[in-house]
Amino acid sequence: MDEEKKLTKNKNILFGIISVIILCALLFPLYWAFITSLKTEQEIFLNPPTFYPHVLNTKSYAAQVETGDFNMFRSFANSFVISIGATFIAVLLAVPASYGIAKYHFKGRKVMLLSFLVTQMLPVSVLLTPMFIMFKNIHVYNTWIAAVLADATIGIPFSVLILKNYFSSIPKDLEEAAYLDGCNKFTAFIRILIPIAKPGVMVCAIFSFLYAWGDLAYGMTFILDQERRPITAGIFNFMGQYGTKWSYLTAFAVVTIIPVALIFIFMQKYIVSGMTSGAVKG
Amino acid sequence: MKKIKNMFRYENVGILFVFPAFLYMLVFVGYPIIRNIILSFQDVGAGNLVRGTKNFILFENYAELFGDSVFRISLFNTLKYTVLCLIFQFMIGFMLALFFNQRFTLAKPVRGILLVPWMIPVTVTALMFKLLFATDIGVINYILRSLHLIQKNIEWLTTPGTAMFALICANVWIGIPFNMILISTGLTTIPKELYESASIDGANKVQTFFNITLPLLKPTIESVLILGFIYTFKVYDLVYVMTSGGPVNSTHMLSTYSYKLSFEMFKYSKGSAVANVLLAILLVVGIFYIKITTQGEEE
Repeated sequence: MDEEKKLTKNKNILFGIISVIILCALLFPLYWAFITSLKTEQEIFLNPPTFYPHVLNTKSYAAQVETGDFNMFRSFANSFVISIGATFIAVLLAVPASYGIAKYHFKGRKVMLLSFLVTQMLPVSVLLTPMFIMFKNIHVYNTWIAAVLADATIGIPFSVLILKNYFSSIPKDLEEAAYLDGCNKFTAFIRILIPIAKPGVMVCAIFSFLYAWGDLAYGMTFILDQERRPITAGIFNFMGQYGTKWSYLTAFAVVTIIPVALIFIFMQKYIVSGMTSGAVKG
Repeated sequence: MKKIKNMFRYENVGILFVFPAFLYMLVFVGYPIIRNIILSFQDVGAGNLVRGTKNFILFENYAELFGDSVFRISLFNTLKYTVLCLIFQFMIGFMLALFFNQRFTLAKPVRGILLVPWMIPVTVTALMFKLLFATDIGVINYILRSLHLIQKNIEWLTTPGTAMFALICANVWIGIPFNMILISTGLTTIPKELYESASIDGANKVQTFFNITLPLLKPTIESVLILGFIYTFKVYDLVYVMTSGGPVNSTHMLSTYSYKLSFEMFKYSKGSAVANVLLAILLVVGIFYIKITTQGEEE
């Protein structure tokens, strides 16, 4: 294959054009949702459809702040609190755990590693009812805490498995040098190893956040009151109530995507490494 | 001898680091799994879920499932959905990976942006595809009409056969980036010299693909397909938001049916039994995955 050789100028342009066409085709659903959110309800029902808003309508965004019955910014804040909480727990627990698994060959290491692997594969269906009962019993049902606790269970195994690879790649000499300088195991871990594994920690934080941000099942099942539900559950509710108010629905969707888009724009390199190292190396 | 003794002491410190995370998972995942299995052998409904006596009825819930036509439909749907999604997202992802593996200026930036569908909350994806497949205002119907492929708008999401098609489209859209990026990474691990020597030997592109690329990519392909199977098989949000299992149960999956039984019909025990069937299938596939990934693990 000729990947190694530089492509000729014409081929470069041709492939560039093809790639942009692929990009437009695949991202069309996103574009469509975005422009629908900026159309008036009448324009949405026009036939043939308009491929950009002829009359710019930002009411769908404004209306949801003004009218109290469905405040998407409150849902947004709920999602934010829940996701940050879940991320915090996941990173706090996964960083030391992955270090332990990567650097120490203690008894039961394999069992623990396996159990993290298995939990990554679990369907939510298995956990919903027992968690529901548990959260009722410890009186966190219908609060953010329930969703935080449940969402963290997605982030922890993922983070442990990713970070394990980062920690194993750090040479032992470095740690030993730290001991010579008077560090003990815990200070060496905090002062030397964590800073080196920082990109890995970022990957874990980002993915734990994204998992929690995208969660619907936990938020919907463990939180009853709309005022406390995450934004995904808000969208689902809204679809049931105003099934065809597409300008509102798509505005909701666009707001939900904003944090994802920001993460993508500013932290893209972590995304690729998270998607690949998490899957291939297990 | 002394050294070995120290080694043991030293290595066991590791447990202290792992223990908090392990305990957390034990409480919030391990215990619920056991609880769910117990639940599936009981007769728990709305009345005795949190408090009250729970009677053991052993395998009655499972026995009931075999006579339940919705359960059979769900099981069949889940398999059909998973296999079809895997085929399409794998093929498209593979082709894109090969295409973007070529060194043109836009290759890396465009491939990066193509990851976006994978990151978007599934609820939003479901909403977007509901809009695309909408009967009156949907773009898909509009395009088909313009091409004169249909005269009347298709009611995609409210007709049994087509609803499944719409679900598969949405899921393939989510899965393409995942397949693409994993295969891309796999491709970069193949040594360039192999291709060079193959071209010296006069092999053409098709030959090098089947004799070098595919065999060397086998581990990647295996993990992509198995992981894809696991992620697709436990699909929940997408189906729940797009069709909720309808029309007339025709798109129910094991996960959505389990949810419906538990949280809409309050037959918690029966819902747990369905979830356990789902879990059992995933575990079988998961064992394969673990076998493959841990092969090269042991140092």
